[in-house]
Amino acid sequence: MNQWLLAIIAVVVAPFIGGILAGIDRKISARLQGRWGPPIVQPFYDFFKLLGKSKIAVSRVQLVWLYGYLFFMITSLVLLVLQQDILLLVFMLGFAGICFVLAGFSCKSPYSHFGANRELLQMLSYEPVLLLMALAIYAQNGSFMISEIFKNNTPLIVPLWPIFIALIYVLTIKLRKSPFDISTSHHAHQELVKGIMTEFSGPYYALVLLTEWYEIVLLLGLVSLFWANPLWVGIIIALAAFVLEMFIDNIAARMTAGWMVKVSWAVGLILGVLNLAYLYLKKGVL
Amino acid sequence: MGIIHTSRIKSPWIMHFDNSSCNGCDIEVLACLTPLYDIERFGIVNMGNPKHADVLVVTGAVNRRTARVLKNLYDQIPDPKMVVAVGTCACSGGVFHNCYNILGGVDKVIPVDVYVPGCAARPEAIIDGVVLALQKLAKLQGVAI
Amino acid sequence: MQLDWMMAVAILLPLISGILVYIIRQYHIRGLIVVLTAIALIINSILFVKQGLPIEYTPEGYNWGLVITVLDYVILLFYIYAGLSLRNWLVLIFALTQIIPLAYWEFGMGAHAEVEPAFFIDHLAVVMTLIISIIGSLICVYAIRYMYDHEHHLHLENSRQSRFLFWLVMFLGAMNGLVFANNIYWLYFFWEVTTLCCFELIAHDLTTEAINNAARALWMNSLGGTAFVLAIIYLYMNHGGAEALSMQNIISGGLGQAVALLPIALLCFTGFTKAAQMPFQSWLLGAMVAPTPVSALLHSSTMVKAGVYLVVRLAPAFAGSYLSIMVALAGAFTFFGASALAISQTNAKRVLAYSTIANLGLIIACAGINTPLSIAAAILLIIFHAISKGLLFMCAGTIDHIIWSRDIEDMEGLAEKAPVVTFITAVGILSMFMPPFGMLLGKWMALEAVYIVPLAAILFVLASAVTIVFWAKWLGRLLQVLPRLGKKWEKLSLSYSVPLWVLVIGIFVVGIGVAPIYQKFVHFAVTNVIAAEEVFAQGWNIVIPGSAAASAAQAVGAYPVWPLFLVLAAALFVPFICLALKPGELRPVYMCGEQVGGTDADEWITAGEQKAKLQLGGYYFQSVLGEAALNPWVNTIAIALLVILFGVSLGRWS
Ligand code: SF4
Repeated sequence: MNQWLLAIIAVVVAPFIGGILAGIDRKISARLQGRWGPPIVQPFYDFFKLLGKSKIAVSRVQLVWLYGYLFFMITSLVLLVLQQDILLLVFMLGFAGICFVLAGFSCKSPYSHFGANRELLQMLSYEPVLLLMALAIYAQNGSFMISEIFKNNTPLIVPLWPIFIALIYVLTIKLRKSPFDISTSHHAHQELVKGIMTEFSGPYYALVLLTEWYEIVLLLGLVSLFWANPLWVGIIIALAAFVLEMFIDNIAARMTAGWMVKVSWAVGLILGVLNLAYLYLKKGVL
Repeated sequence: MGIIHTSRIKSPWIMHFDNSSCNGCDIEVLACLTPLYDIERFGIVNMGNPKHADVLVVTGAVNRRTARVLKNLYDQIPDPKMVVAVGTCACSGGVFHNCYNILGGVDKVIPVDVYVPGCAARPEAIIDGVVLALQKLAKLQGVAI
Repeated sequence: MQLDWMMAVAILLPLISGILVYIIRQYHIRGLIVVLTAIALIINSILFVKQGLPIEYTPEGYNWGLVITVLDYVILLFYIYAGLSLRNWLVLIFALTQIIPLAYWEFGMGAHAEVEPAFFIDHLAVVMTLIISIIGSLICVYAIRYMYDHEHHLHLENSRQSRFLFWLVMFLGAMNGLVFANNIYWLYFFWEVTTLCCFELIAHDLTTEAINNAARALWMNSLGGTAFVLAIIYLYMNHGGAEALSMQNIISGGLGQAVALLPIALLCFTGFTKAAQMPFQSWLLGAMVAPTPVSALLHSSTMVKAGVYLVVRLAPAFAGSYLSIMVALAGAFTFFGASALAISQTNAKRVLAYSTIANLGLIIACAGINTPLSIAAAILLIIFHAISKGLLFMCAGTIDHIIWSRDIEDMEGLAEKAPVVTFITAVGILSMFMPPFGMLLGKWMALEAVYIVPLAAILFVLASAVTIVFWAKWLGRLLQVLPRLGKKWEKLSLSYSVPLWVLVIGIFVVGIGVAPIYQKFVHFAVTNVIAAEEVFAQGWNIVIPGSAAASAAQAVGAYPVWPLFLVLAAALFVPFICLALKPGELRPVYMCGEQVGGTDADEWITAGEQKAKLQLGGYYFQSVLGEAALNPWVNTIAIALLVILFGVSLGRWS
């Protein structure tokens, strides 16, 4: 029962944390650009404003996918909080991404189609790294359960630092920050209008924002797993990673989708495979 | 619905549409985004997409070609929405008002909430115009700004 | 006595009804016979579940061994004839390489291939026969109407439907025999019958392309058959005569000595050819020219499943050897290669074909990984894949008969024309790669198990990332346009709709109930293959314990089946409850304000004041992932893997 309470608390609290983080993101970006920037709670204003706008949409099936995006994201978060199977978590995260892509596909809009196709490429780029991360955690702990990570006293980051770097790398893709804000972008950036987001409006766009907040929390949660004992170190690492992403966002130019796939497969695979090979050698499986 | 009403005032996303301006006003609209004026302080973001916009900022006089486009874009903005006409051209047709292809000001095609005159309108005036539009919205909703 | 009847129904009834169907050339009576056969087969296969398994059975009465030997030579002579008449030397050569060693072995060495029991029916065989009888029969029912429409569309003078149904129905009998057989010489016979049925069915339309592709299927499978013959002879000569031809003896070490790896490798190779593993994928792709029921049958319940069945069945015989690792690698490589190739395909049936090849690769890789977990994954994947693929091919066929095109790009407005078929296709596609449906569960189990073969692990990771791309692309195209509210559903012939709906329901039932089904039944099939006690299912969830006695708390992994279905259901139904959309709230898409028309505007006005129609297309990456670009690479690597596979099996190293 305790577990479920925890899950419910996580589901309720996560959007607030995510929203604040998004606000901090906008503030820091503004400061880096020499501007004052909006208030920290700005994302919440945006969210509630969008909720209050009239409902217009371009297609009915879009809504199913947007809810799928939200619900499967929440599912992954619950899996994280309940310390369940990390491989399953990655699958759920992937499926949430697919729902988002399908929402982009489900209308005859050229811009959202472009965005959806590019989002697919983004998924193609980050999915292998996340799966490799799950495998590496298994190689280290002998279990896919997140609960086992907490039982382990050595922080995962020590044997798994190459995978950690790869994870930070794909975090940029997952948060859609420059140079990988290819399918869509945040703040006032524009990419092919608004890429995959072009056709989500009003309350439905609010749903997307909400899901993104969950996503931020989830991803930072994954990062913090790399120093799970004590967890506060992990959280500090995750926040540092988040700030780092903002710096990268503001100093990098947008790259092309093809470059992204090539480089992330190269970086992710080389780091991941070297890391796995090291773990295998250590455990004597090879 | 207090929070939603407040949020509407706090987060106006604008969409900027250029009819047939000389680009003077457009430059001034973009100047609002720069660190000097930084309209994001007020939560204003330039969206470039009617589906996400709350305030339609129009520059330039309406010509025969853009009238249909302007109407389409206006229809695609979800309610509640405000229209700010920036520059003398957008207000009345300005120096172009007698041209063969010009219909006149923006209000010939869509309802306009705030007129920001000037050739070109200064960034301060534009920001003022958007804030006026928000005040009008606040008054309509009956909330204090 | 009852057993005699059951075996007869499973193996001989399809043959008899096939002949009846061939003789009676009347649409309705023919259809009735097929339906009755289907019902009989389905009931019969369920009766097997109720038997005390395993069953050992040897038919009495006639000299069945002689019958089978004679028929075997008839088939091989037919291959020689086919090779000569088609002037296809590959077909001829591989027919000769089968018949000459076989004849030398039987007559030259006077071999006796009598094995007790001739049939051995355990849970694995029953799982297979359930798939064959239920899904295969549904496909036969589907074919009744399909072939009628097919010939109608082609304006044929002489109906050849009878011939088609004859081979189709007979296929099921051969497959049942194949999975039941314990005597591998008999297994070989049924193997050849399936190859023959496949050849005849692919060639059915008698176009040049059909005949060429049929010939390709024939020679590739004959190459596999050659390996089979060699394996039989090797086992017979080196492992104590007829005793060594018993499948149970081979896999459970009943021969008193370890079986050499070479014959096992040969048998695996045979399985690879039949399962269209790289570099033999081209025959299955070529088989696409045949009418769709053939593809549905080949891909879901028969033919390729025989290939993976053989490899999974043999898994204990190569456990712990380098051969096992090579099998895992070859499978994993096919999984990756075929998934990558699928991205570049625009033809729906070819996408399905590549996905089949990829999934078979995954199953074979699981057999190669050879742990209880991976074998369980393999068997679950066989089940789920059969249901989903059978459904998807039937959908592709139905769509083909609605829009007369198989191109994914043409399916854009399909939902307007055929909402029901679109819905069913969408369910089928979802079930292939999305949680909580079974295929994903299988993939999850495979990934949890793959740890011990590092290279395969990396291939798995890449492949599962690639897989989602082509499915999502297709599904996106399919659901791009939805019909307006209140639109009438299209009417489908019963022969189309019954199989489709039964399989849709099957996907959900098996998907939701996978844990109890696993616990009560499939679990035994796993222990048939690999003798290890492990619990995977707890209640309604799948849990992988760290050790046999561990509880859920110490699990290595867990897959909550029910909660995931609830999440899916929520995603489907919440939109209707809150934030639902009224018809008036639909708006045209953003096209820079240039769109013309109302809600579903797809035209815009160009700079020249002309109307232009919007055209959207997916990404296909022809230059990077196209067949021309990728085939040389993947085939070379696959051949190299096969060479290493035989290399490591020359000695019994482990
Ligand atoms: S008002 Fe003046 S500056 Fe603005 S568009 Fe018209 S002419 Fe140009």
